[in-house]
Amino acid sequence: MGHLSVLLLSVLAFACLALAMERHQEELFARQLGPGATKGLRVAGWALLCGSSAVALRQPSWAIGLVSWFGCLSAGAGMIFVALMLAARIPKTIRPQRR
Amino acid sequence: MVGMGAIRIMPANTSPKVPVSRAARKPAKAPGIRQTMSDLHIWTGLLAGWILYAMFLTGTASYFRDEISQWMRPDVPAQSQLADAAELAPRLIAAMEVIAPMSPQWSISLPDARNNTASAFWRGGRRFESATFDPATAQTIGVRESIGGEFFYRFHFQLHYLPVLWGRWLAGLCGMFMLVAIISGVITHKKIFIDFFTFRGGKGQRSWLDAHNALSVLGLPFHLMITYTGLVTLMLMYMPWGSNAAFKDAAQRQAMQTELSAFVRPGPPSGQKAELAPVAGMIQQAQARWGHDGVGSVNVNNPGDAAARIIVVRADDARVSASPQYMMFDGVGGQLLQIKDRVGAAAETRGVMYALHLGRFSDYPLRWLYFLVSLAGTAMVGTGLVMWTVKRRAKLPDPARPYFGFRLVERLNIAAIAGLSVAMAAFFWGNRLLPAAMADRKVWEVDLLFIVWGATLVYALLRPAKRAWVELLWLAAALLVLLPLLNGITTDRGLWHSLAAGDWLFAGFDLTLLAFGGLHALLAIRTQRHQPKARPAARKSKPAPPAAGAHIPLSHAQAAVGDPVVERV
Repeated sequence: MGHLSVLLLSVLAFACLALAMERHQEELFARQLGPGATKGLRVAGWALLCGSSAVALRQPSWAIGLVSWFGCLSAGAGMIFVALMLAARIPKTIRPQRR
Repeated sequence: MVGMGAIRIMPANTSPKVPVSRAARKPAKAPGIRQTMSDLHIWTGLLAGWILYAMFLTGTASYFRDEISQWMRPDVPAQSQLADAAELAPRLIAAMEVIAPMSPQWSISLPDARNNTASAFWRGGRRFESATFDPATAQTIGVRESIGGEFFYRFHFQLHYLPVLWGRWLAGLCGMFMLVAIISGVITHKKIFIDFFTFRGGKGQRSWLDAHNALSVLGLPFHLMITYTGLVTLMLMYMPWGSNAAFKDAAQRQAMQTELSAFVRPGPPSGQKAELAPVAGMIQQAQARWGHDGVGSVNVNNPGDAAARIIVVRADDARVSASPQYMMFDGVGGQLLQIKDRVGAAAETRGVMYALHLGRFSDYPLRWLYFLVSLAGTAMVGTGLVMWTVKRRAKLPDPARPYFGFRLVERLNIAAIAGLSVAMAAFFWGNRLLPAAMADRKVWEVDLLFIVWGATLVYALLRPAKRAWVELLWLAAALLVLLPLLNGITTDRGLWHSLAAGDWLFAGFDLTLLAFGGLHALLAIRTQRHQPKARPAARKSKPAPPAAGAHIPLSHAQAAVGDPVVERV
């Protein structure tokens, strides 16, 4: 249970951080998000990362929680990486067009 | 790991085809730090890469060492309930009194949640001997004896067929190269954050670089930790000078040893025979202290002698430290002599690093995280090796006749990456197919792995490179996918039974084999479909194929030798 919530928070965190990057905004939305949205996503991403570490350290054994946190960071970032890679394969015709 | 930036910069300096980078426009001066680090990264990575790949992959498998051992000893039933240490240990000690009465030191490991067998190793003459026990009978396992997952664990830090110390030195040297490659890779990679999630498919070398970057950067905490702590596990062998200078006499060294391990060197025997005191009561005292399943092993020094010592050792699967915690008893009188429950700060630091490397404290979700990130590390080494050839292929003066170094790296890559998958699968096939009563069966299992691995190297040398990749990947895929079937035929614990019976260890193992078989098939298909264009096309994830442009002219006779295998697979 503990691992799962840490992993979930880590995935959400990296999703926000990825969406806060111009390159991936272009790729997914065919445009850049406004500076406000970008900043909000970046803040949310870092906040979620802090949150995931807090959850990890509150596990029955904080030491094992910390090890698990690093594992979940790698796994979470890896899942976002794969998701972006798969998204890039969706044929251009059904993806949002540049205005 | 992160070779990337390296490769990004180098072509700019050496090849006119690549867009000129800022670095290349500068007047030729001494190479900058990134260039230097890039060269260092590339060459340390290449030189140690083949051994590192094998160390990484077998080390990754070692996270499931006990599970692999269980799968390879199908005749030992899954334990429905963990044996009580206080009840089992006396029976194992009685067995050891028959097996090794003259040995000055035994170490007996009890079963735990992941391990359904007990095991022992002991000093026998100048060597260590070992045995595996069925906890139900407290007798050694005679049928279908196997080294199990222990082989991968041993191999990943001491290799095989070499004297143990040579193997460990070689592994340490490669580990040091790995550390250098990681640090120089990080320095070389100048866009870690900008390229954090970037993968550009279909772009040849660029795609390889992106994949290598992602595997390296996303798993960086693990890769750095595992390499450094791996060196720490054998630090006193690699760098003994500090402790040699600090601890001059035997007593001090002995005291240092007890900070590192509960395998305390036996004192001099008295020469007087004496019966061992009953051990059950000692274990119960330890259980009262550490919990019912808190006892990991029992060490006996000078058994049968009046100076005997019994050391009850705490299991290390509940805490992030491998520093020794034990209770030492007089082996004849039975009284408690010493409780060791803490070590000095330096020893504890080492204990934590040791534990981080082994991950024995992990529950299954955490164990899978260890396994998957470690697998990413394996793929990092593999993509790095393949990239060396991808990058140079485009620049070959005559792609039909690559120079010797290129061919050497290309062929070694095939055998080291695709060949190892085939060999590891063959190890499991041997486990199920070698006759149950065969003499030295467990030795033959391991020999078979190396025979097959050697054969894949010969095959890789004889076949055109692309075909060798495709065929060996298909062979690995077929061997892996058919293993659950073989398991179902040769044992009564096939996938359908294990799923029905809720035997998750066997079911999980078979399903994992199927997944790896699928992965190899995917790699084989992608390699097969790869059509090198003027610009090499892309590949993603790990072991991918050298382009077909690299074919070495072969005699028809040689080509014919390889063909039947393709047909068969």
